Amino acid sequence: MTTQLGSWRDAPDAALLLAYAQGDMDAARVLTARVLPRILAQATRMLSDQAEAEDVSQDALMRLWKIAPDWRQDEAQVTTWLYRVTANLCTDRLRKRRNVPLDEIAEPADPQRSAPGQIQDKARYSALSDALAQMPERQALAVSLRHLEGLPNPEIAEVMDISLRSVESLTARGKRALMDILQGRKAELGYDDD
Amino acid sequence: MTKSDDDIIDALFAQARTQSPAVPDDLMARVLADAADMLVQPVAAPKPRLWPTFLDLIGGWPSVGGLAMAGVAGIWVGIAPPASVATWTADLIGSPVSIDLLGDTSDYFAEGLLDG
Repeated sequence: MTTQLGSWRDAPDAALLLAYAQGDMDAARVLTARVLPRILAQATRMLSDQAEAEDVSQDALMRLWKIAPDWRQDEAQVTTWLYRVTANLCTDRLRKRRNVPLDEIAEPADPQRSAPGQIQDKARYSALSDALAQMPERQALAVSLRHLEGLPNPEIAEVMDISLRSVESLTARGKRALMDILQGRKAELGYDDD
Repeated sequence: MTKSDDDIIDALFAQARTQSPAVPDDLMARVLADAADMLVQPVAAPKPRLWPTFLDLIGGWPSVGGLAMAGVAGIWVGIAPPASVATWTADLIGSPVSIDLLGDTSDYFAEGLLDG
């Protein structure tokens, strides 16, 4: 089994996915180990909630397993497809938050939050996530892919299936909208004290 | 010195990008369990159905319409053949002819049977 896992180590994502579709669970293990940390990080940055981020990650990969038998290697990269699915799942969750007053959102459980620095960090991440929830969805998506994931514009265009010009416009407008929303929470962010 | 809005937002983005939580073991296990559940078993190829195969052979529904039309026309010609058809068949195969295979011997056999 170790030998089989080792043979998949350098295989492209799409090859692993196709091997999984043929019944190879070793390929699924290698692919999961490769993409799950990235998906979980993306979801955590957008949602600022560990439990929700884990649910989204599991859901995104469930969709990948489902589509595996029909995957066409020439269509898209697995990572691009996962960025898109994860971002859309996060946007859905952020949309649901819009209808809930901010003070009613439960604080996620975090056993290590006692340190003041961590509390400050958590407040910043929550403020960012709440602000993304209040933005128009496509702006939030573009801003998160550009500024949280650090993707270059051509890849964002591919993930969102839009033109480069639209990406530039969405990220610029999105960043301004984010700043407007965060105006009232500047003190909460506490950067002036840093 | 107070930071500008741009500085604040860029600092916030930079800090948010550092979030890379370790994947919990139970999440990895759940994802792999999903993968095992979703694994598609090879499915036997469906048996070809006769009617669609036949349709493909003859060229689809338009051909079926043509066949039906030809069938109806054939029945009609059989029931009420136009005069030209009767003439044409007579020319082709000639007039009907009766042949008596037994000829005059029939009387002989009839008499023999009666006489015992």
